[in-house]
Formats: sequence, structure tokens, C-alpha cells
Amino acid sequence: MKFGNLVIAGIVTGSIYAVFAVCVAVWYRVCNILNLAVGDFAMVGALGVDNLYRVKGLPLPVAIATTILVVGAFAYLYDQVVLRIAQDGPRRAEGIVVTFFFTFALSFFIDGVAKMLFGTDVHAAPALWSGQALTFASLHLERAGLLVLACAVIIGGAFWLYIRYTLGGKALEASGENVVGARIVGIDTRRYRRLIFVGTALIAAVFGIIESPITGYTYLSGATISLTGFLAAAYGGFRKPGRALVAGLAIGVLEALLGGYVSAEYGTTVLYAILAALVLAWPRGLGFESAVSG
Amino acid sequence: MSNLLSRMPRSVGAPGLVVIVGVIIVLLSGQQYTGSVFVLSACYAIVTAGMAVQIGFSQQIAFSQSVFMGVGAYGVAMLNTHFNMPVLVATPVVMIGAALAALLLGSVVTRASGLALAVATLMLPLIAVGYVSSAGYLGGVVGAPLTGTLWPSSSTAVIAIGGGLVVVAFLGIAMFVASRILSSDIGLELFVLGVDERTAAAMGVRTPRRKLELFVLGCVFAALGGAAYAGTQQFVPATLVDPTAELALLIMLFIGGRRSILGAVVGALVIQYLQGASNWVSVNILVVEGLLLTVVLLVDPEGLAGIVNTGLARLRARRAGVPAAAGLPPGEARGPQASSFEAGGPHASYVPADGAGRVGADGTGWGLGADEVHVADGRGGAPGVPLLECRGIGKEYGGLTVLDDITLALPERGLFGLCGPNGAGKTTLLNVIGGSVPPSRGHVLLDGEDITKRPPHERFYQGISRTFQAVHLVKGRTVLDNVAVSCLASHTSSIITRIGRSRLAEAREKAAQALAGLGMQRLADREVSSLTLENQRMVELARALAPNPRLLLLDEPASGLSEEQRRRLADVLLELGTRTCVLLVEHDLDLVAQVSSRIFVLSGGRLVFDGGPSDFRASPVVNSLLVGL
Repeated sequence: MKFGNLVIAGIVTGSIYAVFAVCVAVWYRVCNILNLAVGDFAMVGALGVDNLYRVKGLPLPVAIATTILVVGAFAYLYDQVVLRIAQDGPRRAEGIVVTFFFTFALSFFIDGVAKMLFGTDVHAAPALWSGQALTFASLHLERAGLLVLACAVIIGGAFWLYIRYTLGGKALEASGENVVGARIVGIDTRRYRRLIFVGTALIAAVFGIIESPITGYTYLSGATISLTGFLAAAYGGFRKPGRALVAGLAIGVLEALLGGYVSAEYGTTVLYAILAALVLAWPRGLGFESAVSG
Repeated sequence: MSNLLSRMPRSVGAPGLVVIVGVIIVLLSGQQYTGSVFVLSACYAIVTAGMAVQIGFSQQIAFSQSVFMGVGAYGVAMLNTHFNMPVLVATPVVMIGAALAALLLGSVVTRASGLALAVATLMLPLIAVGYVSSAGYLGGVVGAPLTGTLWPSSSTAVIAIGGGLVVVAFLGIAMFVASRILSSDIGLELFVLGVDERTAAAMGVRTPRRKLELFVLGCVFAALGGAAYAGTQQFVPATLVDPTAELALLIMLFIGGRRSILGAVVGALVIQYLQGASNWVSVNILVVEGLLLTVVLLVDPEGLAGIVNTGLARLRARRAGVPAAAGLPPGEARGPQASSFEAGGPHASYVPADGAGRVGADGTGWGLGADEVHVADGRGGAPGVPLLECRGIGKEYGGLTVLDDITLALPERGLFGLCGPNGAGKTTLLNVIGGSVPPSRGHVLLDGEDITKRPPHERFYQGISRTFQAVHLVKGRTVLDNVAVSCLASHTSSIITRIGRSRLAEAREKAAQALAGLGMQRLADREVSSLTLENQRMVELARALAPNPRLLLLDEPASGLSEEQRRRLADVLLELGTRTCVLLVEHDLDLVAQVSSRIFVLSGGRLVFDGGPSDFRASPVVNSLLVGL
């Protein structure tokens, strides 16, 4: 049953990638910025709760609420100060500067602050649903993994419903297609940019809290998660949250299988080689042509 | 001082300055902290100088630099410890090796463009760090030590100062090479590549080749930086190939200014000195880098170099008493804009004897003097084969049919209109003829020769030239240089040849002639983004005309122009039709009917009308489709 267990483990990590990919894709769709700091919010969630609960001795619910509140407030402030000037200011940044480098800088900043506050050791938030792994026949499923899966399904589904069936979802799409056009027809593009930015930061933080018991986080874990999420989003052409979700799951399963059957040492190396080959072999099909130029 | 600098060629000025400063620092404090940090940052600066050319100017975002810095460093370490090769000998060996590896890797990855290139190469540091950390012979997660140094000696003082001077020399050479390439005619090609790959290809730039050369150049610079690093630090840490190392390099580039060689070098210096500025900073370098990059990008996306340039421009403008336009390079800020391209100027080489007086009068109204406009009639039609022939062109995107069985032929001379409602497939047809979009079916023939499979740059050499619906000019360069883009003779030359001799002057000469032909010589030295839309469109037209094309494809040249400006454009177009074959896509039906000898109408991807201007105005099909009658 090695295969079955590998697939299950793969789906759990894959669902994490999937959620981050969805966050990257949705926000890119709104404002054409790739958020590479999404994973760092997850890291802050996990390490923040751990710090408040274990070190400062706050009750767990208070620790969680405080952490989420801080993440939300910080994301809001960042949008109000930095993104506002970057997108609406007199020296508007264009092209690759906007797509990459603002959130690169944000990611560096968050990681640095986390190092200052939480140190460099591996920590995790306490498990929300503790107990032995659940066993069906010879398949094992961590309880935290089940929680992650459940959250992934709920968040992915909610996003899909929102974009597909609500007026807000349509307005959100319009904001990304053509900012000026959207504003002319009365859509407050800034509001959607802020909404999705703060929203994805909160989702990331929640995910970090739920997931960290499985893997454990350091102050640098955020960058790795963002990167994989970014890659999964790339396979959805950065604009298609649905495809990003599938890609995230597939990458997770592939990673687990390669680690189990090919080589624990070189598993991820082979994974990245496969992913790179895919981009090169099929750029048009993956939606890169329409994604960004310049 | 500033006078002296401005008189020097730019490719010597900045590298010279850095070398002089570097030599002084190394000689004075090579063994102390200041000197050793300078040498370390010079190693990184070699890498960022290459990145400025590759990423900054040409917009080819490839995340390969940290990996090739690792190739250089580990390569030198291996050759030094296992084969006892002196570092100074190992360096060129490793650079050649890196060039070959980059050529191999680049021929695969540079097939991708834009974000696909970025994502595909983002995998490289991830693969490299996975490989290095488990490769025992490279020292695994720890790293590889060296037994030798860049400048071998028994005295530590000589090792430090000699090694430092060699690194400064490397940096000087790297900056010189980068500046020479950028200031040459191939540098101009790279600027266009940075604007848009399709525009570059339409102007004859061999984009696949240039992209590969840029990739190799970036990798070789990185390998040199890595070799210098290994030779002076005497140790190669595994973290050198980390994705964070790649990000750190990018931060240096963007803080310094991605479109400035000197800026890229200064960026590397700033980051390295910051790391050692105080204990707090070195522990919390991530916070500092993050904040610094955010602030710099907010103030000016062009980094420190951009801030300095804007400041200088303001200063000069204040001295001259003219308000500065923010962001323009020094000397480009002007007062009121010229509103027209030298109206009534000498149309020296272009004015044909018979067409001169005819159009200036009036005759722009829909339904006026229909038969008088057949200027090109009778002149077109070479004996035998037509110039351009489209046979059964079809194009589908997914299930959507954009072009359906288009067949048409154009003679050597004449002006031909192509009309149709939005989404009719006009621009797609131009793209198929120009070569930037392959047709799903059918053939394009030039002089009876099938060119369907030829890439856009080869079609450009065969005499097809075009303009674009949206203006695609190189901001920050003059009108003259923007026109010179289409007159370059560098397309078949290698990038390396331009370290020696630039042939930009010849291209500029041709461009000046083309500008004079349109009466635009007065604008030659203006920076393009300071021009009005009309003049920007005229610059595009001049650029398309400069190589004396046989087939000129114009995509909505009149959009955004005023009535008066359209009249002037009509004059130019009428004259063009007497010398060459022009296919004009345009929504302004008056203009089309006025200047064209024959008009094609597309609707839903099909050719629904083909005839002269008088039939065009009378046709019920045309009226219902385009005029709404």
C-alpha cells in the first residue's frame, strides 16, 4: 500500500500548493501583480501562534485570533501604503517590476521580521485536532492532513463560486482585464485589489496554522511555499484559479511519488526538472503567451 | 569634472571610473575591512553588470545567474584542488566551460519568452541547490574549499592586494564589454527586444539568436564573478547557488537600477557594504533589503540610477530655466512640444512630380471626387507575377475562425485599403503576411515564392515592413535611433563583434535620410516619449519606410489623429503608393477611399468586397457593414 499512502501524502501537500496557487492566481487576475509573499503570511501564521501560545503563554484561541488580526492589519496597511503608491502613484512601476519585485521585497521583509521575532528554529502551531493518524485498511491519514484537505476544498470552492456566480466576481475579473475600463464603468479596482490581497493573506495564515504540525516551519519556509504555489499558478497561466488548483495537487502527488519511488535525495530535483521541461515543451498550452509581456 | 565625463565615450567613462576608484581602495585598504568588502562586492558586480544587459535592457528575465556563479566558483575550486591548476588559469577554462553549458541549456530555455522563460529558469536554482547539497565531491551542504588563491603568494598582503586588483580588472573588463555592446547597433537591437519581441522580429532582429546570445553572455559574466569569488574568498559555500542568492542578485540589480551598468555595480556595492555596516544590519539583512528595495522602487522603478538621473535632469533644467519633465534622461526635457512634423517642410526626396499638388487642396469628404483618387492605378502591376499573393489563408484560434479562405494579390506599386468591422480579422491578416502569426491553412507568396514558413525577420529582409496598431517605440532613445532600428546591418553579426566596432553611425545616417524624406529632420534628436501621438505615429511610419520596403503594412496609422493631421497623413500615403506597395488597415473610411486605388473589406474573417473606391462607396454590402446604412 506504499502507493496509496504516497498518493494520500501527495494530495495533502498538493492541496497546500493548490491553495497558494489559487491565491496567487486570483490576485494576479485582479491587479496583474504576482504575490510571492503569500507563503510568508502562512509562515507568520504558524510561527506567530506558536510564539504566542508556547512562549508567551496565551490561550490557544486568543493566540490564533491575535495572529490572524495582526496579519490582516499588516496586509491592509501594506496595500494602503505601498501598493497604492506603486499602482496609482506618479511614478507608476510597469511590467516586470510590478509583477515581481514589490512582493519579492515584501517577502524579504516579512522573513527578516520573523527571524527577529521567532528565531531560526523549526516550530509549529499546536495541532488543532490532535490524536493518532486515522487508519483505513493500511492507508494512513494524519488528522491535520484531513483538516488541510477540508479547508482546501472549502476555500477553493468558495473562490470558484464567488468568481463564477457573483457580481463581485465579475467586477474582480474586469479589474484585471483593463483597469481603466473597469474604473470607467464604476468598478472600484482598488477595493478589489485590497479585498483579495488581505483575503489571501488571511487564508494563507489560517493554512499555515493548520498545516504546520505536519511539516514544521522556519522563518524561511514561506519562500519555499510561495515558490511552489507560484509554479502551480504558472501552470494555470497565472489567470486560471481552477487550473492552478489542479496543477497544485498534481505537483504534490508527483513530488510524493518521485520521493518514494525514484530517490528521496534527488526527488525534488527531478520534480523541478520535469516542471521546467513542461513549461518549455508546451508554453502556449499552459497559457504563458497571454500571461504577461515585458 | 562633469564636462570631462560627458566628453568621454560612455563605454569608457563608467568602467574607467570604477577601475580608478577600485584600484585606489584596494591599494589603500586591500587587507582591511573596507577593501575586502569592496573586492567581494566587485565579484557580485561582475554578475549584475551582465544582468543589466540581459534583464534590465533586453527584458529577458532568466534566473540563471546564481547557478552559473556556482558553476564558475565550483569549477575553479575543483580544478584548483584536484588538478592543482592556478586559479588565474582555471578562470578562463571555467568560463569557456560555462559558455558551452550555457549554449546547450540556452538553446532549450530561450525558446520560451516572457514569463515562461522566467518560470522555466526559476527551476534552475531549485535544481542546482538540490544537486549541490547532496553531491559529496562538491562538499555537500557545507561547500568546497580552495587550496590556491587568485594571486598566489607567500605574503597575505600580496594575496589580498594582488587578488583585489585582478578582480577590479575583471570588473572593468565586464563593464566595458557590457557598455560597448549596449552603445552599439546590436545594443539598439537589444533595446527593441526589450520593448517587445514581435516588434523586434518585424524590424529584422533575429530574436532567437539574440536571446540565446544574451543568455550565454549573462551566464559567462556570472561564471567570471563566481570564479573571482572563489579565488578571493578561498571557499565556495553551497548557499552560493541558493534561490535566495539569486534573489539577492536581483535585489542588487533593482536597487542600483536595472537599466544602468554603473547602477548595477553600485547596487552590488550598496548591498555588500550594508551587510557589514553594523551587527544589527548584518543579522537583519532581510528586513533591510526588503525595506530598501520597496522604498527605491516606490521612488523610482529605475532604481538609484533613475533617481540620480531625474535629479540631474531637474538640476540642469533649473539652471536652464525650463521645468523638467520627470524621468527624461538629461538633456531631453524640453519646453512646448512641436505639434506637427514640420508642416510644409521640404519633402525633398519623396515628392513625385505629378502627385504633388493634387491632394493638398481638400477632397476629404465622403462622396467627393471619387474617381480623382486613383493615383496608383495603372502604375501597379508588374509584368507576370504579383508582388504579394495570399492563397486561401485560413486561421483558427481554438474553435474560433478568424480568417476564412482569404485570397488576394497585390502588385508592385499602389495603395490598397483593408477595412472591416472590429474583429473582422484585419490585423490577423497583416500578422500572417508579416509572419508573426502562422496561418492554419493557405500560403503567402512574395514574388511568386512561398514564404509561409519564413520567420518575420527574414520577411523583413525580403522587403516587408510594418507598423503596429499600438505605438511600439523605444522610450529613452531619440527619434533618430528609433528610426535607425530598421536600418541596422547588424542582424547577421554576433554580439561579441560589437565589443570592437559599432556600426550604429551608418544606420543613423540612413535614418536621418528617411526622416528628411518625411520632413521630420527637426525632430531627430528629440526623445520619443516627449513627442505627441501624431509624431510618434510618424516616427513609426518613418521607421517602417527607412529600409525602402517593397511591401509596407500599415495598421491603423490614423487612429488618434486629428482631422488636420489625417490630411497630412493622406498626403504622405498618396505619395508612398506611387513608389511602393502599401496595404493600409484603417477605420477612417474617408481616408481609405481617398488614398486607395483598391479596397478589400473583411467581415467575420471572409473577404466580402474587393473593388475600387467608387464601387466601395456605392456598395450596399460595405454600407451596411461599415457605415450602418
